[in-house]
Formats: sequence, structure tokens, C-alpha cells
Amino acid sequence: MLDQEGMALRAELFRLFEGPIDEPLDDDVFDSLARRIFQYQFTHNAPYAAYCRRRGRFPEDVAHWTEIPAVPTAAFKEVPLVCGDPGDAEAVFRTSGTTAGPERRGEHHILDLSVYHASLTPNFAAYLCPDGTGLPMLSLMPPVAQMVDSSLAHMISVVVDRLGGEGSGYYAAVGSGIDLEGLHGALERFTAEGTPVCLLGTTLAFVHWLDALRERGIRYALPPGSRLMDTGGSKGRRRIVQEDELRREYAERLGIPADHCVNEYGMTEMCSQFYDSVLRDRVRGRAGGVRRKVPPPWVRTRVVDPDTLAPVRPGEVGILQHFDLANLGSVMAIQTEDIGREVEGGFQVLGRAAGAPPRGCSIAMDLLLEAVEGLGR
Amino acid sequence: MTRLDAWHLPGVDAAGVREWTERELVDGLTLRTPVPEPAALARVIDHIRTARERSLAHRPVQDIVAVIDEAAARLQRPDDPRRALAERALPALTGYSPPMIRLILDRMLADWRKDALETMLEAEFGDPLVLDRFRPGPAGGRIRAFGPELAFHIFAGNVPGVAVTSLVRSLLVKAATLGKTASGEPLLPALFARTLAEVDPELGACLAVTYWPGGSAAPEEVAFRAADTVVVYGGAAAADDVRRRVPADTRLVVHGPRLSFGVIGREALREAEVERTATAAAYAVATFDQQGCVSPHAMYVEEGGEVGPRAFAERLADALARVQEELPRGRISPEEAATIHQLRGAAEFRRIAGADIALHEGPGTLYTVIYDADPAFAPSCLNRVVWVKPLPELGDVVNAVRPFAALLQTAGVAGAGDRLLDLAERLGRIGVSRVTDLERMPWPPPTWHHDGRGPLRELVRWTDLDE
Repeated sequence: MLDQEGMALRAELFRLFEGPIDEPLDDDVFDSLARRIFQYQFTHNAPYAAYCRRRGRFPEDVAHWTEIPAVPTAAFKEVPLVCGDPGDAEAVFRTSGTTAGPERRGEHHILDLSVYHASLTPNFAAYLCPDGTGLPMLSLMPPVAQMVDSSLAHMISVVVDRLGGEGSGYYAAVGSGIDLEGLHGALERFTAEGTPVCLLGTTLAFVHWLDALRERGIRYALPPGSRLMDTGGSKGRRRIVQEDELRREYAERLGIPADHCVNEYGMTEMCSQFYDSVLRDRVRGRAGGVRRKVPPPWVRTRVVDPDTLAPVRPGEVGILQHFDLANLGSVMAIQTEDIGREVEGGFQVLGRAAGAPPRGCSIAMDLLLEAVEGLGR
Repeated sequence: MTRLDAWHLPGVDAAGVREWTERELVDGLTLRTPVPEPAALARVIDHIRTARERSLAHRPVQDIVAVIDEAAARLQRPDDPRRALAERALPALTGYSPPMIRLILDRMLADWRKDALETMLEAEFGDPLVLDRFRPGPAGGRIRAFGPELAFHIFAGNVPGVAVTSLVRSLLVKAATLGKTASGEPLLPALFARTLAEVDPELGACLAVTYWPGGSAAPEEVAFRAADTVVVYGGAAAADDVRRRVPADTRLVVHGPRLSFGVIGREALREAEVERTATAAAYAVATFDQQGCVSPHAMYVEEGGEVGPRAFAERLADALARVQEELPRGRISPEEAATIHQLRGAAEFRRIAGADIALHEGPGTLYTVIYDADPAFAPSCLNRVVWVKPLPELGDVVNAVRPFAALLQTAGVAGAGDRLLDLAERLGRIGVSRVTDLERMPWPPPTWHHDGRGPLRELVRWTDLDE
């Protein structure tokens, strides 16, 4: 439940979500809104306020948004980080927990789904449908009813409902995986009609699907304009190399060229997402730059020194921090375990800490947790 | 630019190598190794097997000890060119700080000197001459131990010296020895092999060391087919992979990742003692930047002493700050640093949520001590991040670590007094393979039953002669 200031901030955010997606806000505008949201969260989110107090950061002392304390994503596993009563949340999204065994799952309490929906739709549309909406959207993710905890399933359901055209649908189910036959039929049909499609799913789902297609010797030549959104990397690997290989396969196996393959970078702990700008650049005649993620105007991303957490010089590699105003009801300032660097007009994600093995002969935390889970069975 | 040859391949001449793998380190140093062609590797294997058959198989073990001893002695000398190279290149290769590298080299090299090797041989065989000829057995008759004809070692990790120890064991049992180094530390095994060959070309001709990316099918097939013993270091996935690829009758020795912890009793928590205890615990954590299998993830501290567990955590943090001056933490990756920040953040929010937790952080990510009243064992993300957990009674540690029984290795114990024997009995029962004090925790003696087994005995087969 948002109070009066919360409602005022919500109204401001809705204006931002409806504004031009390519125009970054003036720093003054972003700063003033960010600090108001910080004040709001400091007042209503008790665990976050305690964290800030311990760092000696009070709203009245914070002169610029870059001074707002960022919360490590792991904190979402320990305590509900919500402005008010966790019981009032309209939805609770949970991290999958698959990479870290029985470790507690992170929980993101969403007080007001309408803020989430209003932020995700224009951002998705700008980067996946820059040439207009209405394409059939085919999801390799099960419908949200089967995965109520998943922010990704929720996000896909919203874009399919709001932006998907005739023939959109879900081609996966919890338990049985991807519906190869159904998907095959749909793709054949759309190909025969010459209707371009938009495929959506996790990178892992695409990898499984491509494997199955290779096994069966199936190759599609999807109609021009077809595109896909994949998300999430594969554990422990450097993403850039992996993505290059994968994009070659998308082109060969599906007939979707690299500039129609848009990688999404998002996390349970954030309401906003980031997309590769390739398709948008291409449609707007600005192709040729490096592949990069572009924050929407209501998000600022900082790259900080992995050791000291001080900002690095532009282009240097560091830990990514995101300041996502759409996280109004939880915590706006998020410190990830993702490694990246700033590039012209955006940033790149280079790696994720999860799955980084120890360099010596001790054992990785993830493996230990998996081991104990195995022993418990 | 200096090119460092991180290989030793008898019968291979650098001039005849067609393709090199090069790896640039800092300050103008480049490592190079030949790209292993299966046919060339097969020739190397023939070469070292023939050399073994001609000489090593018939040499007295005392002779082998003397050669290894001399090679180690040379590498101990500060003015030895290979020693200097190791000190210069290993920090860049492994990430460890120069003082840490010097400490590790000094401690490891001592293990390859004559006294240490002889003690190990005696501990393993009683009568080491069983490696040379038939000797009287314990129940009448005679016994004789034979080492492998060809032992193929696959190394992992970045702790310098671990690989050399494995090569030394293999040579002591008179095996022609092929070592595939790890990308984390490909240098010291090669420097050692070259020094050995310089001391004694005949023994050097029985030993080959080189690098290729782990899992490379072509060279590994050649080595797997030729070897009668395969020694593999690394995680469960690497070990499983090797197990699938070696012939069924090949002896396979696996050293997987292991987990260690500290146990501190009241006697070591007296005001007069606690400084020493905290310092020893700090060295145990700091050595190898906690990357070793001997490195503790957690310190279990008994309640009711003069200094309690919560206060001990603070002392430990102070000690880690002091150790940082002497043995600076090395370079870590951005991912590793990110994980430390996440672990700290999680601990802090658990505290905010009401858990009994106290967090002590060094500058940047240099060290982290987390006091957590929950006794359940919690793994560390390493690089000097250690948990301190309270124990009502010393023996309660057994239940806390039991879920990880299959992975346990070293327990560093302080202040157990006359309860030590009982504690060791109970820890041994669940799988701990070494109970020692905190000071010795990072440096297992060469006689140690490595991961609970006989490091030389597991390499040999026996022939019994009844008379």
C-alpha cells in the first residue's frame, strides 16, 4: 500500500514510463526523483533503513543519487525488503535457486504490480518491437500460472497479452519442457503464411531446443522480421564467447540473423530490464555499434571497483550496480554479482559471479551446498 | 621479452617444435609450451618409459632421494636462476602476492629435502628397501613393492608445489612420470623437472612435464592408453570425466577438492593465550589466500572461555589485519570480489533481521570475519572470508560438520587439552583425515596420509615371496 508520497512518486514514474525511451533524463531530474524515492524507502523499508544507518547514510545527507547505498542482491534471500507490510505485496517473485542448491531463494515483494507492468511494457516494445507490435509471440517459457514465482514468466505473460499478435502462445510446460511438436506446427504455419514471429525464452531453453532440432535434423527459415529474446547465461562461462556461438546457431537453425537476436538482462530483484539495442539500432538506421545493453531513462547503471566499490573510469571492468526507480516499493539501489563495463551508449555484461570456481584445491560454495543437498536425499 | 619454457619433454628439442602455446604474463614474461601433437607425445612417452626401464627401475631408492634432494636444494638458493624465475613469474600466474609465493616455495621445498623424503618412505613402507629388492616381510617370507611403469598425473589448481609433490612421490616409487600441468600453475613443475634433469640427466629422462588445456581428447587418449596409473587432481566433474576415459584396469588415484575447519577450545581462549590462538587461526586462513584444501572455512569456538566466540571473532579480524602486512592477500577476480560483497551483504541483512551476527571487514575485500551464532556449517567464498561459530562443548563440532563428512579433510584444533584424543577419535570416525594444531594446519607433513590414504603405498603393487 503506497502512502500519499508513494502515490505521488508513482504518478511521476508513470509519466516517465510514457516518455521517450531513448532520451536519458537530465541528471538533475533523475537525481531529484531518486533521492525522493530513497527518502521514501528509508522511511518505509525498515531493514533497508537499518542498512543505511549502519553506513551513516541518511536521506538528508545524501547530496546525489550516487551516494545512495546499494543493497547486494543476496540480501533478498535474508529479509523481505519492502516498503511496508510484506503481506500487502500483490506478488512475490522468487529467484530460481537452481545454481546454488538448497540455498534460500531470494524474494522480491511487489507492492504494486501496475508500476511493474507499466515499466516493462514500453521498454520491451522499444527493443523487441521497434518496428511495430502485433507479431505472434511464442514463448519457450511455461505460462505464468505454472510458474507463479517467476518474474520472467510474469513478464512474458504481460508482453504476450499486451503486445503479442494473433497466434501467440506458450510452447512449454513445467515438468514436460518444450512442446516440440506444437512449436514445430506453429512455426511451419507462420512460415507458410510468411508471418514473422517473436520467440521468447531463457537462453538455456533455446540451447535445449536447438539441441533437439539438431538431433532431428530440423532447420527453419523463419520469415524475415522474425526475432527472438533470450535471457540468462550459462553458468560459469564468459557470456560474450558463449553468446557469439549461440547467435551463429540462431542464424543457421532458425534463420534469425544476429541483429534480430536480442538478449535480455534482468533479475528477480529488479522491476526493470535491459535489452541489447541491436534490433532497435537496426530499425532506426543506427546499426554498427557494439552490442550493448541500454538502461531505460528511469534506470542508471554504474560500474564500480570490485574491491572498493568506488566508481571506475569509463570502460573499466567492475561490478554492476543498478538504480532502478521502478523498484519503488522495494529497494531502488541494487548491487549485483554481475561483472561488466560501460561502453558508448550503454554497458556490457561480461560475467556473473555465481559458479566461479575456487582457484586452488578447496571447494566452491555452490558445490558444497549441492553436495549437502545430495547427501540429504 | 623473456620466453619461459614451462615444459620438460625428454627427446623434444625446442627447435623441432612446430607450434607453441604462448601466454603472456606481466612485465615482459611469456610462458610457452609446445602444442601437444599426439604422435610427438607418444614418442615422449616411449622415451621416458625406455629410460625408466634402462635406469630408474633399477636404481636404489636412496639414489633417487639424493637427486630430488639436490634439485630441491638448488631451488632453495635465492641466487638460483630458476628460483628467481619462480619468484618473478608465480605471482603473475597464480595471483598470490610475492611474499606468499616465497613462503609457499620455502615450505614446499623443505618437503622435498632428504630428511623429509626419508621420513615419508619410512612412514609408508617401514622398510623402504622393499622398493629396491625383496625384503623380509612381517609374517615371514619376503615382500617387494613395484611402482607403476608409467604414471600420468593431471594437475589442477593454483597452489604451487602440490604438483611437484605428486611428481616426487611418483619418482620415489620409480615410475616413468608424465605430468600435465594446470593453467593455474603450469610453471613450478617444469622448473623442478628441468632442475632435476640438470642434477641427474638419467632421472630427468624418466620425467616429462607439459601443459595442454584440460580435457583435450587427442593427447589425453595417448597418455591414458599408455599409463598403468593415472593420478588426477580436481573437482568431481573432472574426476568423473577421467574415470570414463581411462581403461578399466588402469589404477586411478583421485585427489578431489576438500574442506577444512578450525576447532578452538577454552584452554586456548584464556587472555594469556588468545592472541596466539587468533594469530595462528589468521595464518591458517591467510595462507594460500584460503584456496588450499587445508584452508579453514570456519572456526568453531567453544563458549565459556575467558574470551567468548563473539569476542574471538574480533581478535581474529585484528590478527588478519596484522597478517595482511606480512602476507598480503593476492589479486582476486572481479567475480570473486563480487561474491565477497554479496556474502557480507547477506550476513548483514541476516543480522538486521534479528540473527546473532557480527561482521568484521577489512579494507576493500582484504579480509572478512563473520561471527554467526548459528552453529550450522557455512561454506566460505574463500579469499580470506571466515566464519566464527560458537560451540557449547568442543565435541559439538562433530554434528555441525557431519553433513559434509564426505568432503572433510583437516581439523585445526587449539585448546582441546586432554579432550584432544576423544575429539580426534570422533572427527576421524566421520571422515576427517588430519587433526592438527592451527599453526601446522596449512603445512601437512610429507608423512601425512593424504586424504586418509598412503601417498606412496597407493602407487605400488606388491609381490610376496614365500620361502
